[in-house]
Amino acid sequence: MPPRISPPSKAITSILRCKRSSSLRLRQYATIVAAPQVSYAQLNRTAPPTAKFPKTQPPSYKPPEFRKSQLLRQYASLLRSTPLMLVFQHNNLKSVEWTGIRRELNKALRKVDETRAKAGHVEGNVGEGVKIQIIQTGIFISALKIVEFYKPETNKSPSDPTDPASPSSATVPELTHTLSEAAHQATMKKTHALMPLLVGPLAVLTFPTVSPQHLKAALSILSPIPGQFPAPSRKANPGYHDLPVQTGLQKLLLLGARVEGQVFDIEGTKWVGSIEGGVDGLRGQLVNMLQSLGAGLTSTLEGSAKSLYFTVEGRRTMLEDEAKGGSGGAPKES
Amino acid sequence: MITTHLTSVRTVFNPFSPAAKTARIFLSFLPPDARQTMQVVTKLLPRTSKERSLVEVKFKDGKEMRLDAEKLGIKGVVEEVDRHSRILTRQAELTDN
Repeated sequence: MPPRISPPSKAITSILRCKRSSSLRLRQYATIVAAPQVSYAQLNRTAPPTAKFPKTQPPSYKPPEFRKSQLLRQYASLLRSTPLMLVFQHNNLKSVEWTGIRRELNKALRKVDETRAKAGHVEGNVGEGVKIQIIQTGIFISALKIVEFYKPETNKSPSDPTDPASPSSATVPELTHTLSEAAHQATMKKTHALMPLLVGPLAVLTFPTVSPQHLKAALSILSPIPGQFPAPSRKANPGYHDLPVQTGLQKLLLLGARVEGQVFDIEGTKWVGSIEGGVDGLRGQLVNMLQSLGAGLTSTLEGSAKSLYFTVEGRRTMLEDEAKGGSGGAPKES
Repeated sequence: MITTHLTSVRTVFNPFSPAAKTARIFLSFLPPDARQTMQVVTKLLPRTSKERSLVEVKFKDGKEMRLDAEKLGIKGVVEEVDRHSRILTRQAELTDN
């Protein structure tokens, strides 16, 4: 009786033979190869710890679904991204007044952007990034403290989970995000110089860059001072003199500023706003100062040599005169 | 806080001092249309100033109050202002009827 299973075709047999031979060879050495080819380092390495949470949702100190927690994150990112921030107190402004003020502010900033674009600056529209927003003071304080005092990069613990020295019980590397418990513990008892300012109803005006020109425009709208930051005239900008805008501005009170992490009072803010020509102007001033310094230095260095020369020269002429006088005066005496 | 009998409010404070809280909160207690009915003057002191913060209130009957905001606190200031305001309300009620 012929076998029921027909023999495989030639091509298939060749493939099968190939495979079988390799698998046979493996099977031959299997008992020898499997165990001892693990290196010493590999043996000591613990398995990387398993995360018990999704990567996008690390556990937080306060429940992350609360509005507070999300506001904290929002404020922290705002504070990290804005180098120039003005703090205002708003005393019961109505919504009409807010819209009017925002409109006038945007108008003024757009004008600055246009003049800068004409002058050939290509930094994009800084004015569009300038926002005035009302903040929750308590949450803003803790966000400020986290941004200022909590620097997780600097004190990162070296307990790498794949490091043999780290205990196998260390499951999760320390979390360092804004909402983490580490951030909370590190900043809980700190005090910041801006903290006394952050009481009562507050609004902050944030700039994406330190631009004195934009600051000047904003100050001339929000807290005009006749000489330094003149408010737009009625002819130039009639919208600014609308009743809602004016009544709103009366109730808006500039308190201070935070520039590049430093706290400024009103005088300091005015000074920053009054820097002529912005950062470029400052650079020009610095170059001028250095040049004059160089000139002064050369003159100082020259000075001593010159004075020496003059002294020596004076002495020489004196000696010559003496010699002349001596030669001239000696005969008289004798 | 009763603000209908006020004609003038003057505050002086240094925003960088923690004690300025009282004066600032007092300002925020004034209603949105306060500037139309009374005169509100605010003086901000420079950061280094050590002057005490101050709330000065004038009433319609001419009474002037000069309150030390740092000592009283916001509750005390409101109490002082309301005490006289209530008297004025009472008088107004009596004269009207």
